[in-house]
Amino acid sequence: MNQADVSKLMSQLRIAVRPTKRNLKNPDGPEGRLLKLRKTVTALVKHERIELYYNRADEARGYAELLISNAIRHGDRHKATMELADYWLLEKQLVHKLFKVLVPRFENSNVSYTRMFKAPRDYPGMYYRKSVLELRGNPYPVLTPDNSQNRNLLHNVLLDEARKEFRREKLANLANKLAAETENATASTTATPAQAPVTETQTEQSKQAEEAPKA
Amino acid sequence: MAQLLLRNLTRAGNAALITKGTSSSITGAEPGSRQLHTTQACCEIRKLARLRVVDNSDLGKRAMAEGRPPRCIHVYNKRGVGLIGDKVLVAIKGQMKKGILVGLKQKQRIKQPQFDSNNLVLIDDNGSPLGTRIHVPIPTVLRTILKEKTLAKGADYTKVLAIASRYV
Amino acid sequence: MNINVRILTKSVAQQYAFKRIVTFSTKPTQQAAAAAVPQQQEVTGPTVRKPIVPAHYRFVYPEFLPDPKVEWRNAVREKLERLDMLDRRRQIELPEFYVGSILAVTSSDPHAAGKTSRFVGICIHRERCGLRARFILRNVIDHQGIEVVYELYDPTIQKVEVLRLEKRLDDSLFYLRDALPEFSTFDENMEAEPLEEGAPVPINDIKVVLRPRPWLERWERQNLLGVANIEQYIKDKHRKSAEKVQKPWEKYDLMKQYRATIPEEEQKEIFAEVHTELHTLELQRKRNKRKRTFVKPKHLA
Repeated sequence: MNQADVSKLMSQLRIAVRPTKRNLKNPDGPEGRLLKLRKTVTALVKHERIELYYNRADEARGYAELLISNAIRHGDRHKATMELADYWLLEKQLVHKLFKVLVPRFENSNVSYTRMFKAPRDYPGMYYRKSVLELRGNPYPVLTPDNSQNRNLLHNVLLDEARKEFRREKLANLANKLAAETENATASTTATPAQAPVTETQTEQSKQAEEAPKA
Repeated sequence: MAQLLLRNLTRAGNAALITKGTSSSITGAEPGSRQLHTTQACCEIRKLARLRVVDNSDLGKRAMAEGRPPRCIHVYNKRGVGLIGDKVLVAIKGQMKKGILVGLKQKQRIKQPQFDSNNLVLIDDNGSPLGTRIHVPIPTVLRTILKEKTLAKGADYTKVLAIASRYV
Repeated sequence: MNINVRILTKSVAQQYAFKRIVTFSTKPTQQAAAAAVPQQQEVTGPTVRKPIVPAHYRFVYPEFLPDPKVEWRNAVREKLERLDMLDRRRQIELPEFYVGSILAVTSSDPHAAGKTSRFVGICIHRERCGLRARFILRNVIDHQGIEVVYELYDPTIQKVEVLRLEKRLDDSLFYLRDALPEFSTFDENMEAEPLEEGAPVPINDIKVVLRPRPWLERWERQNLLGVANIEQYIKDKHRKSAEKVQKPWEKYDLMKQYRATIPEEEQKEIFAEVHTELHTLELQRKRNKRKRTFVKPKHLA
């Protein structure tokens, strides 16, 4: 290879691509390797999340991505793309899923169509690394822990402080306003009803002041 | 010295330049002879490589017409592989004759022509050709090479250039 | 919440990251993109004009695309090479041609009598990319097949003329070496056959006739379209062995194709960089051509 092949045009993948392929040990050679990968891609489109060995998942991921990107690019009226789908999806009802479910799902996506996670391997057991491969937008619960609510993260601490300060400012403004109103009221007649809320806000402020050092 | 260096470079280049279509049958055009190859194809001019006589010398014409092209039995340089402009000893119709390589099948350097057959012009010991005309084009680089050789070796090889019909 | 922080860190990282070969997407993640869109619109609102690169550029200038082999990629070197190529193209007219076109190359040759040599022949192969792009010309002169390799950006090349612009059915025509000589014989004094402007490049569907075996390569294994009589010379055993080496699954091997091509986004980037320059050069060439054609009849009269 010393010149790029210009006869075909492909969209850029949004995943890291290895410079070379893995052979995936197979007695039937490259054809058997593709059959293995076809099974994986079919399972991925069918179940949307699968757990398998890392090498095979990583190889199959590129094929799944390209299959979807080709389907988005050419649509179901394109003969070559249909042939591709027919080859890669061993269960033929999944061809419908590809064009009618996955294409609309990923049409405006800016990120990769699949996600891959490293999975723990059981000890003692097979040595091979394991992984979870999934399509984005699947109906299952997410695998990544949600850290956004962790109070101890720096940005959350900062946000909390900012929130507190904002509230404090708002209350101070309110108090000033009320004070002005009471002054007006005393100037005109007698003033009593405004006192109650002022005390409430004061107590709240004191409470927050106590909380602040804890956070 | 510079020439030698240049040649070595060419040789190294040849090894690197092997691309599609380098594999070829044993050198030389042999229309009538049996096509039997027991070894891997080799484009180099080594001992026992067959050549094609491209001048109109009587001996060469008869040998080519009979379908018994000359065989290289010695290459007069220090690496045993003939490059363009090199003198070779050939066995032709039971005689030993000298000749100059004027066109090679091997990969050549950029801008220098590569021929479909290994061409040879028969010369005598003084460097003057046996024929009076070369009926195929010869590479222009031969001019420089043969002039240099004439100076170095003492024999006058430039007469070969004089009988050339066309350069490429 | 912390999404904003994530976006911030990401954009900062993108700004300061050393730009390397992209084997993955540099596109921002979904949320970041959503956040970035309004800003971009503000910025690019008035300057929407982007150079529109014609789709056929990748066929006309294939050497501007780098070698897709990841280990050999180097963004800086590629960019510098492109600049050098444009520099060369400013000096000399390097026309559009394909495998199967008939070219005449004039190059300076210190060994030749007039210090220049001109070779006419059919282009049988194009290879390599960047400054090392080269092509092979083949012709039969005085019943002697001759091939010459030229580098496209060689500074000693003085002129490249396309005498007949056309394509053939195959990507490389090495089988002409085993074909009858009349299929690679071209007149040296051939006149250029100009193509109408805007007309598509014609495909010459000539089928060449091969000599009998032995051949230089096993042509029966290569699924050639431009060969007429391959069936005539092969036996059952050849047919069987040819069948054995076929790789029908390769057209479905998407990742293999992906690794052999430059993705569309990258191609767009590359051609956007050189498009304006190439376009102006093309226009200039057209103007010059018109001038030349206009002068000729006057001269005759």
